[in-house]
Amino acid sequence: MMEEVTSEVVEIPVDSAAVTEESVPPKKKRKPINQQKLQDNLWGWAFCIPLIVGTVWFVYIAFIMALMLSFTNYTLNKGSMLEFLGNFSDNIYPGGAFYWYKQVFTHQTTTDYPMNEAGAYLFNTVFYMIGIPIGMVLSMFFAVCMSRDIKGGNVFRVLYYLPCVASTISVVYTFKILFESEGVINQLFGLDFNWLNLTGNAAATWNSLNGTNAAGAFMNDPYWCQGLFQKMVIIIMSVWKGLGGTIILYVAGLSGVNMATKEAAQIDGANGWQIFWKVTMPDLYPVIFYNIVTAVIGGMQIYMEPVLLFKENYMTSGYVSLIWVYGLNGLSASQARGAAYGMVLAVIIFALTMFQFWLDSRNKD
Amino acid sequence: MENNENLNVATPQEESYSPIRYGLGAILAFFGFSSKTHRASKKRAKLVGDIFTYAVLLFGSFLMVYPFWWMVAGSFALTNITGTGNAILNRMVWWPSISTFNTELNAAGGFRNYAEVFNRAFPRIAKGFTFWRALGNNLLYSIVPVVIGVITSASAAFSFAKIQWIGRNAVFYFLLAAIMVPGPSIMVSQFVMYDNMGWRNNGLVLIIPGMFGSIMTAFFIRQFLFGLPTSIIEAAKIDGAGYFRIFCGFILPLAMPAIMAQGILSFMGCWNNYMGSFIMIPKGPSINLPHAIALMEDGGSGAYSGDFGVVIAASVVCILPVMILFACFQNLIIGSLMLTGSKE
Repeated sequence: MMEEVTSEVVEIPVDSAAVTEESVPPKKKRKPINQQKLQDNLWGWAFCIPLIVGTVWFVYIAFIMALMLSFTNYTLNKGSMLEFLGNFSDNIYPGGAFYWYKQVFTHQTTTDYPMNEAGAYLFNTVFYMIGIPIGMVLSMFFAVCMSRDIKGGNVFRVLYYLPCVASTISVVYTFKILFESEGVINQLFGLDFNWLNLTGNAAATWNSLNGTNAAGAFMNDPYWCQGLFQKMVIIIMSVWKGLGGTIILYVAGLSGVNMATKEAAQIDGANGWQIFWKVTMPDLYPVIFYNIVTAVIGGMQIYMEPVLLFKENYMTSGYVSLIWVYGLNGLSASQARGAAYGMVLAVIIFALTMFQFWLDSRNKD
Repeated sequence: MENNENLNVATPQEESYSPIRYGLGAILAFFGFSSKTHRASKKRAKLVGDIFTYAVLLFGSFLMVYPFWWMVAGSFALTNITGTGNAILNRMVWWPSISTFNTELNAAGGFRNYAEVFNRAFPRIAKGFTFWRALGNNLLYSIVPVVIGVITSASAAFSFAKIQWIGRNAVFYFLLAAIMVPGPSIMVSQFVMYDNMGWRNNGLVLIIPGMFGSIMTAFFIRQFLFGLPTSIIEAAKIDGAGYFRIFCGFILPLAMPAIMAQGILSFMGCWNNYMGSFIMIPKGPSINLPHAIALMEDGGSGAYSGDFGVVIAASVVCILPVMILFACFQNLIIGSLMLTGSKE
């Protein structure tokens, strides 16, 4: 501080002298460096250098490399990626730069299934998003219950958050047995079918379920018949696991709702239901929007749960499995192909997010 | 006059209602619902509402906690008897019909499944691999990157929140835009990058990238720092403290709640990071605990799929540290998460 003041004091006479005499050319006069500003700039950069390096290196450069890889025919055994991408023009895939992208959109599964492979996997991914609205409604319900003026609300919050803390692997193995054919869920509802694999090793079809021979039935495709049961398990599990986090966000949002408006509405004779929809919900809108956006982004990336329960297959796995299967799995994997699948995923997620923000902006008008 | 009186009759307590409706109204009022015949007292309405709320919340907490109880009970199921095998675990609801405490069938002691996890299970996955190695790996992969990463994130947050430098906001939004890049879509190039650098086999892949901090952590700590008065920093500057001194002496202690909360949350994330290990680290002594548990179940080399009680015991071992950590710091963590919710 003191330095700054003195430098200014010194500066003024020099300036006035320059103006009055006009003999000193203005170029030679250098503005004295503001010591404080210099310090600010130096330290400001110094403090964020690690984060900048990390983000640029592991996200941006990785993204650019993935983009470049997707146009080539790179595999791990072709040596260093940097050298390979260094002469990028020589290494573009022989069959055309967009070869792998064509593969993404045209590659069929080995079965005689009508949708192509990426379509089937994407359908699974989107199907799992049924869990998002279910989770939203349930967590809103519990959050409203918790934000009542009751004793022990904090205890409930902690209990509901427990599944979020648990590791996926433990949860998956627990649910795997809860849904066994003799397991807890079937005992509870008096059912005796196996949710995870209905008829031994073969995937279930409508025929195998009810013993008839309806050859052309829609549900005769294991993709629909077996897949639906398996997907239901995944949805139940992910709702169970994700509920706590959303509840906490909603409880926080509910505690921020304007009490004065609520009381005013109460005096005007609005009942609890009306107050909830007309006063609370508009106030909660930002939290809900944030939740939906993050849930959709996370939902598009679902991978581990279906794979741990059912291994990779076209009936249950999410889209990310394709990146693993074609890009990383084993020595025969083509990293370039995996990168192309990844780029398509990035575009889809980006488009979905933009779409939601567009809906949001239209909503506000 | 008569007419007038007749018009005024329609007050709630009149007997113009049928007795059934009147009785129903009385019952409803007893349970706290106002109707045309009876007005319920506010106290009664609150009481009934509270009872309903407790019932719902208790039922929900039962659903939330039951799988954990199941896990603990299942870790004592004796699943290695020929004939019954996994069926004991499959049928179990509250407590296994044949538990490891059954001394007639099980000579290995009540904690047989846990002993199996600690002593025998992990060497079957890879040569020279033990449970303690997996636990050490997990601790290494979660403590080192989290402690260093949270400090680098905090320093960046300090710089973004409290230091005026040219291009500050541009850099911040440039970094924040990185969260738009979905992890799986750059998974492949990261994999190749780490493979070229030789970080995969020795597990550096789960340590070094985390040490550079994460933009989301920095974002939350920055939000917290905005709430701190700048006058402290000004005062320290006048007293001749440099920025490094200010960061270590003022910002770190003052922002400790936010830093701790973010640190614990990312510690839990790293501890449970199955996907990172599964994708990046080849099967061998460098894999972390969740990955090892997954391999135990696998038909590959762990081969405990026929003795699933051991896998469940390993799951309990994997969950226990984070549960204890969460129990100790639940106030801090939930408070920090709530802050996120109210900020958004």
